Amino acid sequence: MRRAALLAVAVVVYAVAAWMVAPGFYDGFTPQQPYNWVCPPVHITGNQQPSSGHLVIQVINGVSDANSAFTDDGQVVIGFLPGAFNATGKTTITVDIKPLNPCPKPPGLTIATNAYAITADAPLAMKAGLVMRYSDIVPAPSNVYYATSADGPWTGIGVSSEAQPFTVNTQVDKFGYYAAGYPTSSVSHGGASSQILPIAIAVLIVAVLVAGIPLAIIRRRRPAGEAEEDDDS
Amino acid sequence: MDSAGSWLGWVCSLYRRLSDSPIIGFVLSVFAARPAVRAAAIAIYILLAEWSRALISTQPRAAMGALVLGGLALVVTAAGWPLERLGLGNSRFGFRVLGGLALAAVLLLPAAVRSSAVPILPAFLVLPAVVVAVGEEIAFRGALYAALEDLGGAPVAIIGTTALWTAAHALSHPPQFLFAVAAAGLLLALWRWACKDLVAPIIGHVIADLAL
Repeated sequence: MRRAALLAVAVVVYAVAAWMVAPGFYDGFTPQQPYNWVCPPVHITGNQQPSSGHLVIQVINGVSDANSAFTDDGQVVIGFLPGAFNATGKTTITVDIKPLNPCPKPPGLTIATNAYAITADAPLAMKAGLVMRYSDIVPAPSNVYYATSADGPWTGIGVSSEAQPFTVNTQVDKFGYYAAGYPTSSVSHGGASSQILPIAIAVLIVAVLVAGIPLAIIRRRRPAGEAEEDDDS
Repeated sequence: MDSAGSWLGWVCSLYRRLSDSPIIGFVLSVFAARPAVRAAAIAIYILLAEWSRALISTQPRAAMGALVLGGLALVVTAAGWPLERLGLGNSRFGFRVLGGLALAAVLLLPAAVRSSAVPILPAFLVLPAVVVAVGEEIAFRGALYAALEDLGGAPVAIIGTTALWTAAHALSHPPQFLFAVAAAGLLLALWRWACKDLVAPIIGHVIADLAL
C-alpha cells in the first residue's frame, strides 16, 4: 500500500514538473532553442521575431576570404570558401540575411521555415553551403526552395545528406530568397503526430484498463502461496 | 539464424575469455568484495558514457552513430549481473508489459494534453531513440540500481539513480528541464523498487522517446 502511495505521489510530481516545461524529453537529443517565426503557427505562444545577419568579407589580393554569414539566432548559416565570390575590383564584400516579411505562401508548397532574403554585393563564383534550422514542432522539410523574387516562383534545389537533427543543408550558387519546406500533397515525416498522440495515449489507457482488470482478477484467484512467491521474485 | 548463433557464440566465448583473464578477474573480485567501489565505478562509467554521447551527438553527421554507440555502451553495464537482479525476470510478464504501457501513458500525458506543441522525432532518430532508451534503463534502473541497493538498500538506490540520471542529462538538457528529468527518473526508480521490475520502465521509456 505504501509503495502504491509513493508511486502515486511520484506520478503527480512528474505531471507537475513536466507541465512546467515545453513538451518533449529530448532524451539524448540536444534540445532546440525555440524557433523564431515571422509567421508563427497558430499554436505557438511566446514567439520572438527572427534575427537578421550581416557579414563583411575581406578581399585579399583579389581573392575573397573564407567566412560564414549567419543570423544572430543561428537559424540560417551560409558558409563561403576562399575565392567563393567574383571579387573583381572589390576590397570587401557585404553579405546580408533578412527574414522575409510577409511570409510567402506559394501554391502547392508548405514552407516549414521562415523565408530569408540572402543578398551580397558580389556574385558567387563557387557554391556556398547553406544550413537552415527548422522547428522541432513542425514536420521536417524535405527540400530547400529558391526564388528570385519574394513573390516566387519557388524552385526546389534539393538538400544534402542530413547533418544535424532539425537542420537542412544544401549548396547554393546564387543569392536570392530561400526557404525550406515540402510539397503540400506529400506525406511529411510525422506531420499528423499532433492528432495521433492523444489518441495513442487514450488507447494505452484503455489497453491497461481492459487487460489489467482480468489480470488482476486472475491474480486474486490464485492461491495465496503462489502470489507470495511472485511478490518475492 | 546460423550466423546469429555463431555471433552469439563468439560473444559468449569472448566474455568467458575476458572473465578468465587475471586482470579482469582481479577487477571483478574487487567489485564483488567492495560494493562501494563497484557502485562508484558503474556510476562514473555511466556518467562518462552519457556526457560523451551528449557532446559527440551535437557534431555534424555524428548524431545517429553517437546515440547508437552511446546506448550500446550503457548496455555493457549489465555484464555480470543476473537478470533477476536487473529486474528482468519473466514472472508476471503480463503485468510488466501492462505496467510499461501505464508508465508510457503517464510520461506522455502532459505532452498529449498540449499535443499541438509536441516535437516531432525525425525518422532517422527512431533506432537511436530505442537503443538509448533501453541502454539508459539497463544502466540506471538495472545495474546502477542493483549496485546501490547492495551498498545501502532501496532508499540509496532510488535517490542515487535519480540523482545520477539527472546529472547525466545535464549536458543534453537546458537547466529548466532538469526538474522534469529528475521527476521522471524518480518515477521510474520507484517503479523499479515497488514492482522489482525493469521491463515496464524499458517499455515506458521506449514509447515515450518514440512519441516525443
